[in-house]
Amino acid sequence: MGFAVFFFLAWLVTAFLIVMQKSLSLVENTFIISLILIISINWSWIIYEGLKFIKITEQPMDYTAFLFFRSVIIPIILVIQLNMVLQSESFAQTILIPIVSIGILVALTALSSYFHMTNYVKWNIGYDVLYFAGLHVIAYLSCWLFRKIAYREGGYL
Amino acid sequence: MILWGTFDKNEIVILLMLVIFYSIFFLLPKKFCRDITALFFLWGLTIGIFFDFTIGGGLIDYYKLNDSNEYGLNDMLYYLSFAPFSYFFIYFYELLQINAKTFIWYVVGWSLLGVGLQWVFTLVDIVNFKNGYKLLYSLPVFMLSQTITGLYYQFIRSKRKVMCSDEKQQT
Repeated sequence: MGFAVFFFLAWLVTAFLIVMQKSLSLVENTFIISLILIISINWSWIIYEGLKFIKITEQPMDYTAFLFFRSVIIPIILVIQLNMVLQSESFAQTILIPIVSIGILVALTALSSYFHMTNYVKWNIGYDVLYFAGLHVIAYLSCWLFRKIAYREGGYL
Repeated sequence: MILWGTFDKNEIVILLMLVIFYSIFFLLPKKFCRDITALFFLWGLTIGIFFDFTIGGGLIDYYKLNDSNEYGLNDMLYYLSFAPFSYFFIYFYELLQINAKTFIWYVVGWSLLGVGLQWVFTLVDIVNFKNGYKLLYSLPVFMLSQTITGLYYQFIRSKRKVMCSDEKQQT
């Protein structure tokens, strides 16, 4: 069940990213997705496999669903919200979009627990909220830094 | 997380590789715009980490990297060596003026180079295969990742200017 749900969600967010009106360029979108993917993989490896704060399922299909969440859904949601924030028209929208995005990610984390894809050992949902909030900050900062370095006048690296 | 198990040949080879690959990068004449260079550096790192953490660890644990299954600084340094490779891939793509016909042989060549390098990594204990994984199973991984890299680069190049060196010379 977990596999079907998370595959559908991975497909849904990817399709949404493709069709949505984007404020970031193709190169910027790819850069942010790559960066968040690296962080997401490393984070899950250190917290789940290394420190064993969270136990991952040993069922192959549920494990594949976990991979979809870690490697597809998280980076794509982060880049979708970044595109939306950059085209938001009010301060309220700028605040609301990341809050909704963090809420969705936390809800999906709860869903992965519900499907027994993951199981908290020495962890709680508050840490996940902080982690996802940190990911949002990294997404904004990396976008700002990438634009600053990449488009500096007259420049090529 | 550890630094490394024991500092021996695998760590020395990784450090040597990093020095060589990054020196080549700095010595090569610069061609690309900053964002393209940054993107393809990160692209190589991402592909390396993505494949290694998907099939090389967790439930599908086909190989052990360096001294232990524990994630170490030496593993991270190993992944950093992937970064210049995707840059070199697009650099020589331009230098050799690869087109639709030569693309096939370009990918085959790079894939064989990838398998060859991985064979060397097994000799110096950077990569240790397990659970029935064979060296040649990496060929499809390299062919897939390099085909995607080539097609993606071609796609970006069709949309915008990727080389800013001409612009710089004019100013």
